[in-house]
Amino acid sequence: MAVKIPNSIDELPTSSPRFIGHRVKRVEDTGLVTGRTEFIDNVSMTGMLHCAILRSPIAHAKIEKIDVSAALDLPGVVAVVTGEDAAKWSHPAASSPDGWGTYCLPADKVRFVGEPVAAVAATSRYIAEDALELIEIEYEPLDVVSDPVAAMEDGSPLVIEERGSNVMLQRVFNWGDTDAAFAAADHVFSEKFRWNRLGANPIETYGCISEWDPTELGITVRGAFQSPSHMALGRAMTFGLPSNKVRMIAHPHGGSFGGKGGVRGTDVSLLLSRKTGGRPIKWIEDRMEYLAAGGSQAWDRRYEFSIAVTNDGIVTGLKVKLVDDIGANGEGFGAISAAKPLAAFTGPYTIGAAQYDLSLVATNKAPASPYRGMGPPPHNFALEQMMDIAARSLGIDTAEFRRRNFIPKDAFPYIIPSGNEYDSGDYEAVLDKVLALSEYEKLREEQKLAREQGRLVGIGVASAIEPGVFDWNAYAVVGVQGTGVPEGATVSIDILGKVMVRVGFALEGQGQYTLVTQLVADYFGLEMEDVSVTMLDTASAPPAFGPGGSRLGVAITGAVLGACDRIRVKMCKVVAGLMQTEPENIQLMDGVFGIPGVSEAQMPMAQVAGTMLGASHLLPPDVDPRPEATHVWTAAGRTPVDEEGRTKSYLTAAHAVHIVLLEIDPDTGMVEIQKYVLVDDCGTRLNPATVEGQTQGSVAQGIGAALLEEYVYDEDGQLLTSTYMDYLLPTIHDVPALVMGEVVTPSPFSPLGAKGCGEGAIHTTPAAVMCAINDALVPLGTRANEVPAAPNRLWKLIHTARENTSSD
Amino acid sequence: MATMKTVRMKVNGVTHESEVEPRTTLVDFLRGPLALTGTHVGCEHGVCGACTILVDGRTARSCLMLAVQADGAEITTVEGLATPEGLHPIQQAFIEEHGLQCGFCTPGFLMSLVELLSENPDPSDAEIKDVLGGQICRCTGYQSILKSVHSAIAKLRTAGVAAQPPLA
Ligand code: FES
Ligand code: FES
Repeated sequence: MAVKIPNSIDELPTSSPRFIGHRVKRVEDTGLVTGRTEFIDNVSMTGMLHCAILRSPIAHAKIEKIDVSAALDLPGVVAVVTGEDAAKWSHPAASSPDGWGTYCLPADKVRFVGEPVAAVAATSRYIAEDALELIEIEYEPLDVVSDPVAAMEDGSPLVIEERGSNVMLQRVFNWGDTDAAFAAADHVFSEKFRWNRLGANPIETYGCISEWDPTELGITVRGAFQSPSHMALGRAMTFGLPSNKVRMIAHPHGGSFGGKGGVRGTDVSLLLSRKTGGRPIKWIEDRMEYLAAGGSQAWDRRYEFSIAVTNDGIVTGLKVKLVDDIGANGEGFGAISAAKPLAAFTGPYTIGAAQYDLSLVATNKAPASPYRGMGPPPHNFALEQMMDIAARSLGIDTAEFRRRNFIPKDAFPYIIPSGNEYDSGDYEAVLDKVLALSEYEKLREEQKLAREQGRLVGIGVASAIEPGVFDWNAYAVVGVQGTGVPEGATVSIDILGKVMVRVGFALEGQGQYTLVTQLVADYFGLEMEDVSVTMLDTASAPPAFGPGGSRLGVAITGAVLGACDRIRVKMCKVVAGLMQTEPENIQLMDGVFGIPGVSEAQMPMAQVAGTMLGASHLLPPDVDPRPEATHVWTAAGRTPVDEEGRTKSYLTAAHAVHIVLLEIDPDTGMVEIQKYVLVDDCGTRLNPATVEGQTQGSVAQGIGAALLEEYVYDEDGQLLTSTYMDYLLPTIHDVPALVMGEVVTPSPFSPLGAKGCGEGAIHTTPAAVMCAINDALVPLGTRANEVPAAPNRLWKLIHTARENTSSD
Repeated sequence: MATMKTVRMKVNGVTHESEVEPRTTLVDFLRGPLALTGTHVGCEHGVCGACTILVDGRTARSCLMLAVQADGAEITTVEGLATPEGLHPIQQAFIEEHGLQCGFCTPGFLMSLVELLSENPDPSDAEIKDVLGGQICRCTGYQSILKSVHSAIAKLRTAGVAAQPPLA
């Protein structure tokens, strides 16, 4: 019998859910506020050594010679590894695109500042770092290429010689007859945009404790893994091990946002463990290592956007040209960020034809990694600027312009030109609500007054889709294989009716253990305290990926409800046997199994579990006596890509409209956000408090992206923003209070109708802030097309524009 | 091996005396030999505030202090906030108002607030922001933290207790 996973909260076996859909307290929090949660750096093991990594100070150079003898002589130093060891014991890392991985320690040359070249294992981190200073390396500098456009030219220095070019991938996708749409258009608007590198920056860096087992010839790594199974597979490939000899034990971690990284450090520490005969090696990345070479850097983009528009303000075609600077190799899988925009290429709009001219380019910079949103935020930023450019030129209000182009609510499910299917939505309702909440008309009047006083006040209205529940097929165009992303959970009920749920991912911040607890408690009519959640390592967990691509809330809901349903079916059989009826006659409701309407034929779930585990003589003959089940969920209906890269990839499409009011100080170029209002629709809200938390945190990251955050390299490939004094994260002063509202159109396809919402506002916030900045700049006749719109950039724009007007 | 120095300090009411290398940072000393791993390290260069503790009742960034500089000091870390009877009101407020997500920054926020609320039981938003401007949280966007602070203020007022745990 097929497993039944409810598509709405009403279908849960409870007359009134007490936890799902409610703002419940998180089960994770007591450990965290008391400092007891076991982050990886809290762990010590017998015989453990500490690793420190020596990194290249040069962006591109041949390694002529490495002398580690003095380091080895230092008391406390146990081993040193270099590129020779990596070549002997490992393979180049897996990469996207395929074939662009390198060794974790290169033997021949370094390709970016911060690239590991040697590493020490010692009895303390202090000694290990002392030893790094004793390693002598002779470099012969090579020409550096730090500009991706120059890197594409013939004769450019090559980052990876064997590839014969720095172009990792170049492809033009055509979806529909874009040229015809442009030829028929009343207006064509084109603009160039620059999105500078930024990145995840969780407050905990990456860390791990790596062990090589010389008897089993396998490895065990404890660490801050966002996706333990994915790390395990990668390590098996890198070390040429059977995948069943690789065990990853994930620890709770202090955020990830896609950019936890850790691959190189893990591999380097594994080499050290092997060299020391299997001692556990702890490697804790420090912040400067994270900034220079961790999973930190993402989205270094040069865009050209064109849209075709009718006189009525209908956008009929979209052309996007992207040169994406991926850095020194493909090991960070930053390339998937260029593929994900296909899942929502034309945003919430009916644009019927689109073209994507994509180049991924290698340069002598840190390898690009994913970051929350995984690529669409820069795309949305540019698309939303284009919408405003067109609206202004046609004299249409920017909110109204979007309304005219929205996919209508009766058109769902709706397939966009790039192939993905949007599940449901009511975009106009979202817009109407945010316009009302923000008192949009009044804002425009205030703006008019401010402009009359010469103040630079702007209003941004931006709308975007958040694709939810990623599938590997979304990244097929950059060489990632597979369809489906299985997520499993095991629900186990003990003899007293208490529940343990085993999952394959660790705490990361999104409150997923709370969600699991809510689901099981409501399903079986329990209190939340009756449900515990624990994490299994990759050797014992069911197939699992963990958080990423706004998937886990939906996926773990599917897994847990599937497992609960399997238990329900077993229990119905047991109860039917005891009540001498057929299982179809037994119903579970509010934690009690029984024949509906027959008050003497009712059995609480705990009694059923107790019977299964402690009264075998009462059980019907063919029943499985374990009140336990595992379910592995993956989104249905996903397909491999077609020849143009089209596929149903992300299962859900959440939607949001943000409205921002801000003022630019012309004397300083500083932006003050005065009002921030948003309405979103992410389907059923399983825990509204955590949804809000994800949204607020994501707005903050979006504001950081729009105004503050940037990795700056000079032309020699030197990173100039190597500390938090230079790489600016938003503080409490930078993030405004939010006014938030919601519209709920449940997904027809997902467990309980929820839509992925973990990435949230970052899809929309940078676009909204930049729309507002450009709105503020209208009276000056200039535009900000570069992100972040840092004060120096805005000041320069404003002053150049003023000089131009005064000299006219 | 550098000459070792003897340091003596009272941490969460317990006196410790140990030999340390003079270069050992205070946070490494607390997290290592004293096994007080609730104080976290986010940057080791004084910006993120994750390592914030109280030294003689004043907040300090334990990544920027050496253990030897704390010789003779009384120190409170996050482990010193809860009692066997229960959580500190500020901890409770953070749980109730969802003032944390990954929780890695949280101990630093809590310690900063213990100092602020013990000196000023009724701070304005501007005063709260002034103090928390030195703590970075990458997850929450700070709104829920502000709410948590307001809830903590109310809790402390109702209970009629001072924010700072008494120095034993
Ligand atoms: S770790 Fe001390 S301020 Fe960041
Ligand atoms: S809760 Fe994650 S950094 Fe603050």
